[in-house]
Amino acid sequence: MRAPRLLTRALVTSFLTVALVLGAVFGVLSLRVRDQVRQSVADNLASAQQVFTKVEARRQQDMRASVAVLAENPTLKAALDTWLTERGGANEETSEELLATVQREADKIAGRVGADVLAVADGSRRVVAAGGKLASSWPRGVVIGNAADASSPSDRAISVGSGMYHVVSVPLRLAGAPIGSLELGTALDARYARELADLSRGEAAIVSKGTVLASTVSGPEARDLASYSAAGETGARTMTLAGEAWAVQPLSRLGDVTFLALASIDQAAAGQTRAALEGLAWVGAGAIVLAVIGSVWLARTLSEPIDHLSQSLTAMTTGALPREAVRVSGTSRELDQLTETFNSLLASVASAEAEAEATYLGAVRALAAALDARDPYTAGHSERVSMFAVAMGEELKLDSDAIETLRLGALLHDIGKIGVPDEVLRKSGALSPAEFEVIKTHPSAGARILRSIPFLAPHIPIVELHHERPDGLGYPYGLRGDDIPLAARIVHVADAFDAMTSARAYRSGRIPVEAIAELRRCVATDFDGPSVEALIAALPRLVAATEPVDPKAFQWARARSA
Amino acid sequence: MPNRAPSSASAYERRSVGPRPKAQPELKNVVIFFSDLTAAGAAPMHASIAQKDEQFAPHVVAVTTGSSVAFPNEDPFFHNVFSLSRGATFNLGRYPSGSSRSQTFNQPGIVKVFCEIHSHMSAVIRVFNHGWFTVPNEDGTFVIDGVPPGDHTLVAWHERVGERRDRVTIRAGAATSISFTLPVLEPGP
Repeated sequence: MRAPRLLTRALVTSFLTVALVLGAVFGVLSLRVRDQVRQSVADNLASAQQVFTKVEARRQQDMRASVAVLAENPTLKAALDTWLTERGGANEETSEELLATVQREADKIAGRVGADVLAVADGSRRVVAAGGKLASSWPRGVVIGNAADASSPSDRAISVGSGMYHVVSVPLRLAGAPIGSLELGTALDARYARELADLSRGEAAIVSKGTVLASTVSGPEARDLASYSAAGETGARTMTLAGEAWAVQPLSRLGDVTFLALASIDQAAAGQTRAALEGLAWVGAGAIVLAVIGSVWLARTLSEPIDHLSQSLTAMTTGALPREAVRVSGTSRELDQLTETFNSLLASVASAEAEAEATYLGAVRALAAALDARDPYTAGHSERVSMFAVAMGEELKLDSDAIETLRLGALLHDIGKIGVPDEVLRKSGALSPAEFEVIKTHPSAGARILRSIPFLAPHIPIVELHHERPDGLGYPYGLRGDDIPLAARIVHVADAFDAMTSARAYRSGRIPVEAIAELRRCVATDFDGPSVEALIAALPRLVAATEPVDPKAFQWARARSA
Repeated sequence: MPNRAPSSASAYERRSVGPRPKAQPELKNVVIFFSDLTAAGAAPMHASIAQKDEQFAPHVVAVTTGSSVAFPNEDPFFHNVFSLSRGATFNLGRYPSGSSRSQTFNQPGIVKVFCEIHSHMSAVIRVFNHGWFTVPNEDGTFVIDGVPPGDHTLVAWHERVGERRDRVTIRAGAATSISFTLPVLEPGP
C-alpha cells in the first residue's frame, strides 16, 4: 500500500488537531458554563431568600400590628364575652344575635386585613365565627391547633381540615385577662406558592414532612421534591427533579413546613450553552478553513522541491545527467540539506564521469598511438580522418553524442590493421590479391578488438563498416545504401579523401581539387552523396582550423584560396 | 425564620393616666352563693362600679334583683357603659368626667358590662333573686348569715374558672364552715 500523500497527511493532522482542540474547548466551556450558571442561579436564590426574609418579616409585623389594632374592638369583645358567658350558663339557649354580631365583626376585620381566613376563637382556640374567603374551611367548633398547648407560639403552621395554614394568633383581652383570640390564617396553597415564586423570580414550593403541600412546578418535579428534608441548612442545594438539575433554596421555615425557592439550572445552562456553542461553531468553522489553507500551502511548499529532486534523481538513473545543480528552495532546513547533498552527489558523479571519460579517451588515444607506431605512413591519418569526420558531422547538423562517436570511432577506424603483417602493411608496391584479402580483414579485426571493451561498443559500426560502399561492393558484408550506418558512410568518405591527398608508400598524394573531383565522380557508387557534399562544405573551415603540418595540405590551401 | 412581632394585645403600650392602681386581687372577683335558694322580697341594694384609670372597679359585684348599680365616671375623660347580656341589655351612653349614670337590674343572671370607648374594660354584675350571696374578704374569709336550714348547694364562682359546687348542710342555730379552692391564675401583664 502506498504511503499517503503529504497533503493528505497534513490535512488529516490539522483536522484532527482542530477537532481535538474544539472538543476540549467545548468540554471545558460546558463545564465552566454549567458551574457559572449554577453559581449565578444559587446566588440569585440566595439574594431572593434574603429579600424574602426581610419582606416577609415586615409583612408579618405589619399584619400582626393591624390585627392587634383591629382587635381593640369593644363590640367584638363584648359580644364574644357575653356569648361565651351565656353559652356556659344554665340556660343553654344561645343568643343568635350575639353570634351574628361576632360574625359581623369577624367579617369586617377579615376584610380590612385581607386575610384568607380570620376567626374569632374562644379560650380553647375553638372557632366561634370566621370571616374571609376561606371562612368555610374553618367552621364553628373546629379547633385551631392544639387546645391543650397553652405555650404554643402565636405564629405557627397548623393543619385545619384538609388544608395547611400559617396561623397568627392575637389574644383578645378584657380587664387584663384573655377571653379568646383572633386567629389569622394564610392558606399554604398554590396561590401562596405563586406569590413565593413571583417574589423569588423563579419557581417555589411548600413542603412539609415528606409531602409537597403546594408548588409552581409540575407533577414529576414535585414528586422528586418531596424528598427534600431541611436538616438545618440555609444555603442552596442542587437536586435532580425529573432528570434536570435544579437549585433549591429554603426561604423560611415554620414548624415542620419549609418554603422553598427553585430555579432550573439546566434550563439556564442550556440557554447559555447554546449561545456558547454557536460562537464555538463559528470559531470552529473559521479554524477549519484556516487549517485547510495552511495545510495546502504547507504541503505545496514542501512537495514542490521534493518533486523537483525526485525528477532530477530519476533523470540521473536514466543516464541523462542534469546539467545544473538543483536550486535550494529555502522552505525548510531539512529539504535544503537534502538538496545540497543531492547537488554534491551530482558534482561527484559528474567528476567521476569526467574521469571515466578521460580514462576512456586516454585508452582510445593509446590504441590509436599503437596503430600509428606500427605504420609511420599512416601517422596522423587517424587524427585527420577524425577531424574530417567531426567537421562533416557538424555540417550535417548531427547531435553532440553522434559527433563524439564519430570522432573517436574515426580515430580508431583502422585499429584492425594491427593484425595485418608488416610485409603486407608496409609494402611499397601494389598489393597482390592475396595480400589485398589480408588487408580486407582489418575492419572485422578492429571490430573484434573493440568488442572486448564495453565502452567502445558505440564505435564498432564505424570500425567494422567503414569500407562498405553504397553500391554494395564494399567489405566485409557488402551492405547497400542506407543499410550502412551514417557514421560509417561519413568515415568512409573522410578516409578516402585523406588517402587520396596523402603520400603513400607506392605513390604521392593528389591535390585536393583532384580528390574532390574523384569523390564527386564516385558518388552513389563508392561514396555517399550527402557525406561528400558535407566534406566539401567543411573544407574551408578545416583548413582554417588546422596547421599546415603537411606541405601538400599547405599547397592545397593556397590553391583553394586562389 | 420570620421575626417575632411583639405579642401584646394592643399595638401601643398600656398608658397610665395617673398613678397605676393596685390590681384588684382575684379573690375579690369571686362570688359565693347558694344556687338552690330563692326568696321573694329580697331587699334591693345599691352598688357602685366606678370607672377609674380605664378600669371598672370593682370588677365583680353581686346584687339582688331590683337593685340599682351606679357607674360614676372618675376618669378625666368620657366613658360609656353598655351590656349585651340577655338579662339586661342597656347602653348608658357616653358621659363625661364627674358624672354618673346608673342602671336597675330586675332579672337574675350574669350581666357583663363594657365600655364602648375603652375596649379592654369589663365588669360583671351577678343578680340574684335572694340575698344569700357574698364576695370574700381580702383574706379569703366570707360569711353568709341567715341561711335557711337544710341541704343546699353552695357555689363559688369566678369569671374565668367557672363554678365550684359543694353540698352543705345547714343546721338551725349552728354555723357551718366550708372552704373552696379555685385554681385561678393571676392575670399577666
